[in-house]
Formats: sequence, C-alpha cells, structure tokens
Amino acid sequence: MRRRVLLVLTATLLLGLLAACATPTPQVIKETVVVTKEVPVEVTKIVEVTKVVEKEVMVTPTPVDYGKVAFISTQCVPVEEAEKMRGVILKDFPGEVEFIPADYATFEDTVMAEVKAGKGKISVIGALHGQFPTLVAAGALQDLSHLVDMAKERGTPDAFIELGKYGTDKQYFIPWMQATYILAANKKALDYLPEGADPENLTWEQFRDWAKNIYEATGDKKLGFPVNGLLHRFLEGYIYPSYTGGMVTTFKTSEAVEMWKFIKDMWQYVHPESMSYEFMQEPLLSEEVWLAWDHTARLINAFKERPDDFLALPAPSGPKGKGFMPVVVGLAMPVTAPNQKGGEALIEYLTRPEVQITTLREVGFFPMIKVDYPGYVAKGIRLQGEAVSKQAAAPDAIPAMLPVGLGPRSGEINKIYRDAFTRIVINNEDIETVLKEEAEKLQTLMNETGAPCWPPDPPSKGACQVK
Amino acid sequence: MRRLAPPPRLVGRGTMYLMALLIALWILIPIYLITMAAFSPKDVIYSWPKSLMPQSFSLETLLFFLNAYGVLASVRNSVIVALLTLALSLVVGAPAGYALARFIFRGKDVYRLMILSTRAFPIVILSIPLAVAFIRWNLYDTVISVALVHTAMALPTTILVTSSVFIGVSKELEEAAMVLGCNRLQAFTKVALPLALPGLAASAIFTFVLSWNEVFAATILTLYNRTLPAHLFVQLAASPLPFRFAGGFFILVPAIVFMFFVRRYLFNLWGITLK
Repeated sequence: MRRRVLLVLTATLLLGLLAACATPTPQVIKETVVVTKEVPVEVTKIVEVTKVVEKEVMVTPTPVDYGKVAFISTQCVPVEEAEKMRGVILKDFPGEVEFIPADYATFEDTVMAEVKAGKGKISVIGALHGQFPTLVAAGALQDLSHLVDMAKERGTPDAFIELGKYGTDKQYFIPWMQATYILAANKKALDYLPEGADPENLTWEQFRDWAKNIYEATGDKKLGFPVNGLLHRFLEGYIYPSYTGGMVTTFKTSEAVEMWKFIKDMWQYVHPESMSYEFMQEPLLSEEVWLAWDHTARLINAFKERPDDFLALPAPSGPKGKGFMPVVVGLAMPVTAPNQKGGEALIEYLTRPEVQITTLREVGFFPMIKVDYPGYVAKGIRLQGEAVSKQAAAPDAIPAMLPVGLGPRSGEINKIYRDAFTRIVINNEDIETVLKEEAEKLQTLMNETGAPCWPPDPPSKGACQVK
Repeated sequence: MRRLAPPPRLVGRGTMYLMALLIALWILIPIYLITMAAFSPKDVIYSWPKSLMPQSFSLETLLFFLNAYGVLASVRNSVIVALLTLALSLVVGAPAGYALARFIFRGKDVYRLMILSTRAFPIVILSIPLAVAFIRWNLYDTVISVALVHTAMALPTTILVTSSVFIGVSKELEEAAMVLGCNRLQAFTKVALPLALPGLAASAIFTFVLSWNEVFAATILTLYNRTLPAHLFVQLAASPLPFRFAGGFFILVPAIVFMFFVRRYLFNLWGITLK
C-alpha cells in the first residue's frame, strides 16, 4: 500500500515536472484555433472554404500578414458572442487575432500592469467610453489622431469622435460600435394596449397601464425588468432623465420623489421573478413575460429566434422627455502595443462597413458609421435597428451618458441607484429619507472623484453637485 | 460516539441522521439541478414553470461549451498548474514541516506565526505589482507564474499540515533506525517518510484543490494561458443561463471524481478509518 502511494506520488511529481517542461505556448494556441473552427455547424464550412482561397491569395506577390495581434475587450464577453468574434467577425483579418474577453477590473489591471512594466502583449483595446478615463489619466493610451480621417470618411459622427478625446487634443479611442436599451414586446400583448396609445411613442404611464391591463385581463404579471442585470441603467439613463431631466443633479428633487412613487406603482405589475433576471431575452422567449426593457445585445436572441412574435420599441417618455442611454464602444491602443501596424490595421478592419454589418448581425451591436442595412440582415435585427434610430431621433430625446470620470469607482454609482431602488421599491422605505441618505453618498462619491457632471446633467465646474 | 449521543438515545440518533440528511441534501440538490440543467436543451431551461424532473436530454450546450475556444486548453493548463503547485509546495513545504515537528529552535513560535501571516495579505492588492514583476521577469502569462503564486498561497497550509503529520510519526522510530545503523537521511527516507506518506498525500490534495479552484491570481497573471476557473470566471459571468450550467457542471465533475479517489486519504488525515 505504502509503496503504491509512494509510486503514485513520485509519478505525479515527475508528471508535473514533465508537464512544466513541455509547455510550448505558440503550439498550444495553434491547436486550439483548429478546435474553434470545427465549432459552429454551418459557419465552419464557410470558414474552411475561405481558408483555401486565402492560401491561393498568399501566392500572389503582395502577401499582407500583420502577424499576431492581441485584442482585449470588455465587450462581447459572453461565450456565444466571443465565439462569433473569433469565428466570424475577425476571421477575414489578414493576421492572427487573439480575442481576449475580460471583465472591467481584470482588463484595467492587465493594461495598467503592462504599461507599468514597460512592455506587454496587448495591441488593441475594446472598451466602453466610460471605461477609458483611468487609462487616459495614467498615460496608458496612444494618440490615434492619424486614424481620425479614416473614421470620418466612413461616416462616424463628429460627436462620437469628440467623445474619444476626453476634452484633450489627442484622440484616445476610435468609435467602434454602439448599443442602447430598448423595449421588447410580445405581439400577444398588443391586445391589451391602453386606448389611444401608440406603441412606438408611449409614455411611462401608458407603459404601466399596458402591464396593468394585461394583469387585470389574464391575472399574470407580464412585465419584466433585469433587476439582477442592468437595472441601474434603467434608473440612471431612462426613468431619471425622463422624469427629472437629469441623472445626478436631480437625484432627490420633488420630481424624483414623484418618479419613485410611479416606479412603486408600476412594480405591482412586474413579474416577481424579475429579481433574478439578468438577460430579458430568456423570459421573453419562454413567454414568462410579454413586456421587457433591456440592453439590445441582451434582447437580440428573442428577435433573432422569433422575429414574427416580438416588437422592438423605443423607450417610453416621461414629463421631461424620452431619456435613453447610448452605449459607445471604442478601440484604443496601449503605449506598449507590441504590434503597432497590426493594431492599426485591426482598428481599420473593424470599422469597415461590411465588418460593422457582420458585427451587428452576429453580436447585436450597432454600426458607428453610416451603413445601408442590406437585405440579408435578419428581420429581427432590422427591427431592433429601427427602434434604436427612432429612440435616438425622437424630438424629445434626452441622451444620457454612462457615468464618466469616476475611474475605478464607477461601480459605486450603480450601487447607489440600485440601493435606492431596493430600499424604496422592495423594502418599502420612506422615499424622501432614502433619497436624502443615498444623495449624501452620491455627493461624497462625486467630491472624492472630482467628477464633473456629464449629460444629461448640465456641465459643471468641479465636482458634480446634487441639488 | 457515546459523547455525541446523550441519554434519550433514539431521539438523539434520529436527529443526527436527520441533520446528516439535511446537510447531504444541501449539497446534493444544487449538484442535481446543475447536472440536470447542463443536459437539458435551451428551451427547457427557459421554460416556465420550471420542472424538477428532467424533461428531455440534450448534449447541445455542453458540446458547444466544450468546443468553445480555449476550454480544453484551459483544462490542460489547470491540470499542469495544479500538479506543478502540488510538486513545488511539497518539495518546499514538507522539509519545513519536518523541521517544525522535530527540532526545537529559537523563535520557533514566531516562525510558525510568520508562516500563517503570509495568508493575511489579500492577493487583490498585490495583483498589479505581481503582474508588473512577472512581466519584467518574462514569467507573465505562463503556467509557471500561476503555479508559483499558487505555491506561495498553499505553503502555509502545507507546512502546518505536514508538521502535524510528522509529529504523529514517533521520533523513537527514527532513533531506533539510527541505532540500527541508518544515518539521519536514511532514517528519514526509510522510516519517517513512508509512515507520513498518507498524511502528505492528504495535504497534497488540499493543495491540488486550492490551485484547481483559484481564480484571482490566475486571471491577473495570464492572458492566453488561462486556467479553467479563470477562463470560466471571465466568460460565464456574462453568459446566458445554459452555458453557466454547462460550465458549472464542467468544473464540478473533476472535483467530485477527484474526491472519490482520494477520500480514503482525507479520512486518514482526520483520523477516521474507512474499512
């Protein structure tokens, strides 16, 4: 027995040492790439075909190969989206792109560590507009001004290009793609639409009445919110601007009090499972809910799988207008980028019209540039695209940006809005008391980070002040 | 046993079995639900109301997950890292444990305390400096770097566990071996080590499981060469339900299989004999 244990132990030791010696990393990656190409059933075949063509092209005198480009991204992190990035969106790039999905904290730590060490592996960064400021402040990002002309020629709106400057004369990111949050409705719900209401131009009151009518007629609560998902964006970018015209400055105004009363009232018709929802596409597909608000990328499967059963609708309006939150994703390069040419080529590639359309079709993020939606873009996605444009182009639209300038503490502002929600709506605490207490926390956060106001709040000198 | 079951013996034993049953269910029910969901097609997972019995069988999500980029590579990385950690921590930790068990030296208690105090540094605050140092040493994004950090994390437990294992091996036996002609080293390798092996194996298991489950260091120190938990941590946090179940099932199974093989040694460490 003992001898056997000894044997097993030495064997493990030896194996461990052997394994340590036998880790040739480049080979590892090549192997796994082969694996991916066998994954998606229909797509694979196309991939193999194009591969053959590529090899023939290589014979011609000008072979372009940008080599290995490491691309870290806080977007397209879910397994399916990451697979689409690797298998479809990035497959025609003349080089080998390593797509590395990462959560925000890991992403920031990794880039900072590489910049501090003075050398790194990452060449391209994809992240939200609100996720770059810490890196900008640390001097971790390159000036990409020489790529601006290309972006403008392709029709990127100036407003978005301006966002990438963070108030400086340098271009820290090139706009890559955008998303937003909209409503999705099962067509069965149309029978219960309040009288005189236009589903494409609802008010929040009508939206509540819609859910109320369904509840009264069927006995089921068919309205859903992703409480365990991105609910904080609903509060920050939709209901607050719609009712108060602001996000931070109007946190505890009398209009805000009215708004919370409305949310509490609406919550009577919200499906109790909402507390556990992260992605609304799932309960929509299972018909657990008929009406839902969520991020376009988190609704897309509903529209893709059953485009004839669902409607994509712009968000409702409130007394102050139609608050909505555009999400801007940018591409940047760290100062330590090992593959400068490859990185720039990848940015150029990802902002090409045909690649932007593929991105929309595969992962549900909308183009940054002017594109004509071709016929082959699935009906469901076109539906979403139309709702997105209608929302942004509404005459009473109030665009609200994701929090800017809070750096690593940008998670804390979300917690304040979520806490206010939990205390007021779930725990039934007194609205004014809660708003007063949470407003203090909000003010402390603004003072400590010194973050000036961002839209929809009017610009401020110094830290943003809660009224 | 008698101590645990006071006078109204039937009731006592009944309650004990009931508690045992509850604890077992506490662990088994989630495992059951995860397993069932991992083998269900997507629409069953989304359906409402949900059922506690398996509705239909499908390998769809599991296969997609298995074939997804990086999963198999990360499994291999995880195994390599865990084995390396196991080897390194035993090579460094067992002699330290032996020294603590056998020798009386000045500052022994302080030394013991210092070993434990290394656990007091949260790895979160060390992450960026560690990554920077590893990049400079060209160790960044290698399985060795992760194994080194895991070894540092595992050493305190390894040292303390092995020291108590060696205390359990009678010193007289080693002395007797030396009287009969062994030198110090031979006495250790021929007498003390074989007797301590089950205990050492148990401590190795702890190390293995620690490394297998560790997420944070693995996420920060790697880019391409992720271990399985690091890979899952990043990808599953934002993935739809079916993939989470598949991923949960996938990380659960090796741990359970491993436990089945090694429970004999675990019990050994706790002083329970399994006949």
